[in-house]
Amino acid sequence: MPTDRTAADRLDEAVDALIAGHPIAVDVTLRPALHVAQLLRETLTPVPTGIRFQAGLAGRLHAPGLGERTLRAVGSPRGRLIAAGAVSSAAVGVGVTAYAVWRTGRRHGGASHRLLHR
Amino acid sequence: MSAARQAVALVPRADPDAAAVRDAQRDHDAFDVLYRRYLDRVYAYAFYELGDHHDAEDATERTFLAALRALDGYRPTGAGFRAWLFRIAHNTTSNAMRTRRRRHTEPLPDRWDAPAPDADPATLVARAEEARRVLRAVRDLPEDRRRVVLLRFVDGMSSAEVGEVLDRSPGAVRVLLHRALRELAARLDR
Repeated sequence: MPTDRTAADRLDEAVDALIAGHPIAVDVTLRPALHVAQLLRETLTPVPTGIRFQAGLAGRLHAPGLGERTLRAVGSPRGRLIAAGAVSSAAVGVGVTAYAVWRTGRRHGGASHRLLHR
Repeated sequence: MSAARQAVALVPRADPDAAAVRDAQRDHDAFDVLYRRYLDRVYAYAFYELGDHHDAEDATERTFLAALRALDGYRPTGAGFRAWLFRIAHNTTSNAMRTRRRRHTEPLPDRWDAPAPDADPATLVARAEEARRVLRAVRDLPEDRRRVVLLRFVDGMSSAEVGEVLDRSPGAVRVLLHRALRELAARLDR
């Protein structure tokens, strides 16, 4: 066995054995560090992902073009213009509809109000 | 490339993912195998790095989408597909941390709730408290040491693989790990 191995090399070898679940033999000076390695092995456990996230990402991986194409399109000057136009049109549409609903409500409310006071 | 890194690249290594990668390069639908194999591991790495489930999900998604996009250009060298994928994850989490620093937000406090169904409540509480102390200490490590610790212990990577991910020689990774574990031992009074 080579004798010129550094403490870092010996500790690394011991950590390899720890991760593989093999018996470990280290000198006394490395024991505190190896004890911490054991703690880390027990603490840094896998963190399960949510089922909805898993399914959503799997779906996006099967159709990766859709989201990316949209992002790319919005990223280009022409795409930004189209996106801005679409958003403006939608905003105008929502505004007009809201106004119409408000006017209709007001008209009906006004009629009943007048009837009540007749 | 340094001599140490060249030596690592020259070591013939059977990549357990080689067949799955070839299948996925032929047909992207077959990427599903690699996705299922590495989803939890990439997510765990991102979670321990970023300390927030939402950010970890975002980083995981970006990692896999970037990996799928770059898959056709992947050529098996050095430490294999796992190191290649984690290099993408590493870059993605680094970007997320830079963005977070610009927004001046802090990660959530440490969290640990690994189940231990056979333990009595007092033991559970004690273990959870110790785990929180360990996570806090890991989070306070300098960035390069923390990353080595996470890659080495969350996914059980070898020093050579961690070196591939972080663009360091295996010797440098071993030194970083040694310093990190000694620092943690001092902080945790071991």
